[in-house]
Amino acid sequence: MLKKKVIFTFSSENVERPVTYQLIKKYDLWVNILQAKFKPSLGGKLVLELKGDEKQIKEGLDFVRQIGVQVELLEQEVLWDEKKCVDCGACVSICSTGVLSLDKVTYKLKFDYEKCIVCGNCVEACPLGAIKVTF
Amino acid sequence: MTIKKTYEEINKKIKKGEAVVVTAEEIIPIVEEKGVEKAAEEIDVVTTGTFGPMCSSGAIINFGHSDPPIRMQKVWLNDVEAYAGLAAVDAYIGATQISESRGMEYGGAHVIEDLISGREIKLRALSNGTDCYPRREIETHITKESINQAVLFNPRNSYQNYNVAINTSDRKIYTYMGILLPKMGNANYCTSGQLSPLLNDPKFITIGVGTRIFLGGAQGYVVWEGTQFCPMSLKTDDGKTVYRGGTLAVIGDLKEMSPDYIRAAIFKGYGVSLLVGIGVPIPILNSEVMKYVAVKDEDIYTEIVDYSFPRLNRPSLGWVNYKQLREGRIRVRGKDVPTSPLSSYAKAREIAQKLKEKILKGEFLLQEPIQKFPKEREFKPLLEIR
Ligand code: SF4
Ligand code: SF4
Repeated sequence: MLKKKVIFTFSSENVERPVTYQLIKKYDLWVNILQAKFKPSLGGKLVLELKGDEKQIKEGLDFVRQIGVQVELLEQEVLWDEKKCVDCGACVSICSTGVLSLDKVTYKLKFDYEKCIVCGNCVEACPLGAIKVTF
Repeated sequence: MTIKKTYEEINKKIKKGEAVVVTAEEIIPIVEEKGVEKAAEEIDVVTTGTFGPMCSSGAIINFGHSDPPIRMQKVWLNDVEAYAGLAAVDAYIGATQISESRGMEYGGAHVIEDLISGREIKLRALSNGTDCYPRREIETHITKESINQAVLFNPRNSYQNYNVAINTSDRKIYTYMGILLPKMGNANYCTSGQLSPLLNDPKFITIGVGTRIFLGGAQGYVVWEGTQFCPMSLKTDDGKTVYRGGTLAVIGDLKEMSPDYIRAAIFKGYGVSLLVGIGVPIPILNSEVMKYVAVKDEDIYTEIVDYSFPRLNRPSLGWVNYKQLREGRIRVRGKDVPTSPLSSYAKAREIAQKLKEKILKGEFLLQEPIQKFPKEREFKPLLEIR
């Protein structure tokens, strides 16, 4: 079982194609939508997390490329240095995907890596330099 | 019967290990259950805490004299300029001054944190030279052990209550209240609410000149009202009382502080600031004091202010309470907006706990103020007179 985060960029020509449906149905992949931004008839962007068999993921991505959708693999990673973090929460409201939150009981920062799209917004918001993006 | 206690009585109990101490959070359910009078009878001290960016901070340092001696007129610590216009080897390093070589990525706050952590700091100083202080330049290294005094002296800390910052414009803005996303994409606030020192004694019944406090992990003191001090409350349109203009000037021995409670911070696109941890113990002298320390997040209101407006008086977008803010989302003009605290509630809680433990162990006694703060102060703008 393999896990990959990908960004699909659609153009006006292929924006209507039911890509995620095909990935699930035809390639038997587990698909989690992390972020979706579309302007109907103009195109859009989709950030997904895919889980499945290595071969199936490769074939699925080939299929997506074939229909003209640009495919980018997210190889970067966000690193949170818990020792530097003071739980100030400055990063929380800047994260659009809800990766970052303050625990309702302890008020300490929680980092839900699974949902992260490595946009880097939190890196500039952290006053302590506790978050970094690595390549 | 109304309860009355003196500082002496409470200190006597602390010394005997008999004082009953709780934090400003723990007191809430106690008062709800027992009522103000009964709680005031049973509880002796309530501890508060805050840990957030406090820009008006800095340290007074005495370097000691070199041989031959120099009257330092310009001083840099790790390339951050400190103010040296006092005597020969005294200087004041301000938290927000930025490095002349590294710009905004390093500033006075970092020098302070590095000093506290025991790291070596490069000192460079220039002088015109005099007959008694012939030397004109020096470059050397200092640590907190090598210098005479290092005293944290912060002219304005522990703001009673602060605005919620929001941005109604179409562009992302970088402020001392953090990054504000366009079109009200987020809202940042900066007080520990029900744990915050000056919201627990909003009328300064117990806090004044001479109050002993927890400052950056060491014992410190309130030395004066903070700059811009403005203690008068105001009323919102729907009649809620809001306290917000109180501030403290505080002092403490930097050499005894810990980087756990004093940290440098960089607000991107704005500059450098110092995160300061402060805890103030509130002696329960009577039931009036108890009534105020029982305050809850849902009763403390603050104003939402549009920071995209580049003038002194920014437009208000209404009021919210700290319960709403702490839940992580507020409604502003019909929009659901995520919130960020900037001031660490987890740390504020840790400080209030730590102070409580010190008092319980008899290591921290209460100091009665030697002078009360004024009841009124005008908040003056700067006029441009030509
Ligand atoms: S990089 Fe930061 S802001 Fe962006 S999604 Fe990940 S956690 Fe959220
Ligand atoms: S902004 Fe930085 S220090 Fe503050 S909670 Fe987030 S990671 Fe921690």
